[in-house]
Amino acid sequence: MSLLREMLPDLSWWRSADWRREAIAGWTGALLVIPQAITFAYLSGVAPEYGLYCAVFVALLSSLFGNSPMVGGPNTAVAILLGLTVLPFAGRGSPLFTELVLVLSLVVGLIQILIWLLRGAELFRYFSPAAITGIKAGVGVLLITSALEGGLGLSPMTTNFFYEKFYIALVSWQDLVNPYAATVSGVTIAAGLLLKKNWLRSYIIGAVLIGTLVGAGIYGLLGPVQSQLELLGHVTLRGLPLNVPRIGPQHWLFLEQVVPQAMAIAVLGLAQSLVIARDLKARAARDLDLHKEVFAQGISNALSPFFSAFAGSGSFNRTSVALEMGARTPASGIVAAFAVVVIAWALGPLLVWLPMPVIAGVMTLVGIGMIQGKEIRPLLNRVDGPVFLITVLAIIFVSLEIGILVAVAVSVGFFVASASKVKLAVSREGDKEHIVVSGNLFYASLDHLAKQLRSDPSTRTILDLGRVPYCDASALALFESIRRERQLYGGQLDVVAA
Amino acid sequence: MWKHCINAICEPGSLQHDLSRAWAHERTARRRAPRRVTQLLLILFAASALLGASLSALARPTIDELKARAVLDDYEANIVFGYNIVMETSKYAGRYAGSSLSCTSCHLRGGTQPDGFPLNVAGVYPKWRAKNGVRNGIGMRIRDCFLYSLNGIMPPEESPEVLAVAAYVSYLSEGEVIGRPPKGWGVPTLPDTGADPNPPRGQAIYQRVCAVCHGAKGEGQGPVPAVWGLNSFNAGAGLNNVQKLAGFIWANMPMGNERSLTYQEALDVAAFINLQYRAFDPREGRLKKLAERIYHRLTLIFGKDNP
Repeated sequence: MSLLREMLPDLSWWRSADWRREAIAGWTGALLVIPQAITFAYLSGVAPEYGLYCAVFVALLSSLFGNSPMVGGPNTAVAILLGLTVLPFAGRGSPLFTELVLVLSLVVGLIQILIWLLRGAELFRYFSPAAITGIKAGVGVLLITSALEGGLGLSPMTTNFFYEKFYIALVSWQDLVNPYAATVSGVTIAAGLLLKKNWLRSYIIGAVLIGTLVGAGIYGLLGPVQSQLELLGHVTLRGLPLNVPRIGPQHWLFLEQVVPQAMAIAVLGLAQSLVIARDLKARAARDLDLHKEVFAQGISNALSPFFSAFAGSGSFNRTSVALEMGARTPASGIVAAFAVVVIAWALGPLLVWLPMPVIAGVMTLVGIGMIQGKEIRPLLNRVDGPVFLITVLAIIFVSLEIGILVAVAVSVGFFVASASKVKLAVSREGDKEHIVVSGNLFYASLDHLAKQLRSDPSTRTILDLGRVPYCDASALALFESIRRERQLYGGQLDVVAA
Repeated sequence: MWKHCINAICEPGSLQHDLSRAWAHERTARRRAPRRVTQLLLILFAASALLGASLSALARPTIDELKARAVLDDYEANIVFGYNIVMETSKYAGRYAGSSLSCTSCHLRGGTQPDGFPLNVAGVYPKWRAKNGVRNGIGMRIRDCFLYSLNGIMPPEESPEVLAVAAYVSYLSEGEVIGRPPKGWGVPTLPDTGADPNPPRGQAIYQRVCAVCHGAKGEGQGPVPAVWGLNSFNAGAGLNNVQKLAGFIWANMPMGNERSLTYQEALDVAAFINLQYRAFDPREGRLKKLAERIYHRLTLIFGKDNP
């Protein structure tokens, strides 16, 4: 019964929603998502239409089935991973590539529904904030790196280490770099960074406008042949892009190979959505059901290929903008989905002339936005610091999906390590010793206490376990053996809970 | 000394030694001759079967055969995509196409028609072209077609569309000699007729022969391409050249009744068509052109040295 309630869209917010504020938030979000959707489609290697469909349908479905103002849609890390997973199997951007991306999205959604059935939302509680910040920063570095080719007008290249690309571009810039593309992307990035100070909500739109103007000027003066500026081209949007994902023998062979990657994408998408949801639960929507959000993500990704869209997840930056603009219910997401259609349709003829270096500039700006000093600074302590650092290094030096697994493992590992520390406060009154223990007492954390208790078997000790939340059988066995030892040597051990 | 020599020759591993062992083998083998014949026959049979199989595999599959297969490797999938782009450019490469033309509007029958810009030209590239003054790979050549003949947007060199068309060109070029232009390359160059092209006469011929399909205003309809106007190739395209267009018209038009026009008639029609308006040559920037035009007007009005 409760499963059914989580599955069905809950429209109880319909009456209580403040529609004016939700609509404003929705329209702002739609303006924000269009450059991002095109960027993320480029990242995953499919035509820009698919990113826009993702911004419409995945956002609409996740708002409809969810119960929060969280804004779904195309997501950086998910898009990067989709593209990287399919790349070995088909030529980037070819029809087969697109089919495989869609099939992969379907499987990602199904895995997320499976996680929902297994009550997986509980698991994501152990994903430490340091690991999430680390993943965000790592993805930011990946974004900036993958924006490099588009920004400088290079051919796509794959390198072993991320810095190789910068090295190649720097060493042979005279032969490789297209100065006009570099100018346009540089202007876009500079404009974005300048506007960000005063216009935090939608600086990206301003940057896109300025970059496009500069690009159009160069393109107009020199023409396509001399400037060699790459343009976005025609984006043909259909109102209802229904599509049945093709699953032939080729697609099965592909799916067999990529199950681990699909799981990594599913977990990563859910992790981001649930971190947002957890944040929302604390700030805006108290009656938020995490399981329902998991189902909403799963069903919207599983249905996405039927609407020619690739998988997405909750978006940090768009959700925070929506909250600032006054969104409190899923209404803003639904408005945003329809607004994307209207805006993309109205802007269609202009989007043709959008230079790709501007898109690369937006990618860099989003990447810079993901590496946030104010989130990283509080992590500079002995527990969070290493988790963050290991995650970032694993992502930028190994790969995103490995980095995510490392992040989970490291955050659980450090949690266990910190949980197995106990504090002993030792005080003496005459010949009596008073020890106050705080921390969990279990097999991994007993060493320190045992050493203290065994140091002098003839003392009379009062052991205060009042601040011990958990005490396992091995701890009880230890107390028993020490009490016996003390009886032999004339000491005493009293266990109390004050 | 002699003995020494013999020893050296008959040392194990030397040629002599191997030969003597082979002769011994021959002698024993001759005794088992019947079995050896059957073995030989079997091997011959297997070899011929293998040869047949590989020959049939070597024969170029048609596009329809490729499309019917359940699994295509990357190259074959790319060929099919390239074929689709060539046949229906605005549907499969709509991102970069501009006009209503498809590749097959000029590269007739999907680039398989000799004297109709056939596409079996992979062996000719890279080569220097006067058009852009640089050495062109097949990718650059395809991109130029998007920019000029399709009046669209120049796709990047590594875009899936360009790679697919390049694969299709390679597929069509199978069996051609590398470095030598294929038979029926491009369009025929018409011999000198001794008379200048005459556009008014061309207009009359156009209205009589061509307008049935291409429309009285050259607008085309359905798969029949527009021959002038904003939906046709632009002023930078290769066909915007009277000689080339005349050769194309003479060899391929009117469809179904090719080579029925005389050289002079083809020349006249070409001259007429190329006098009509079409999108301008994108080699010069639009803004620059606008600025030049405004500057020219201003000098006409205010300039002192212009009469």
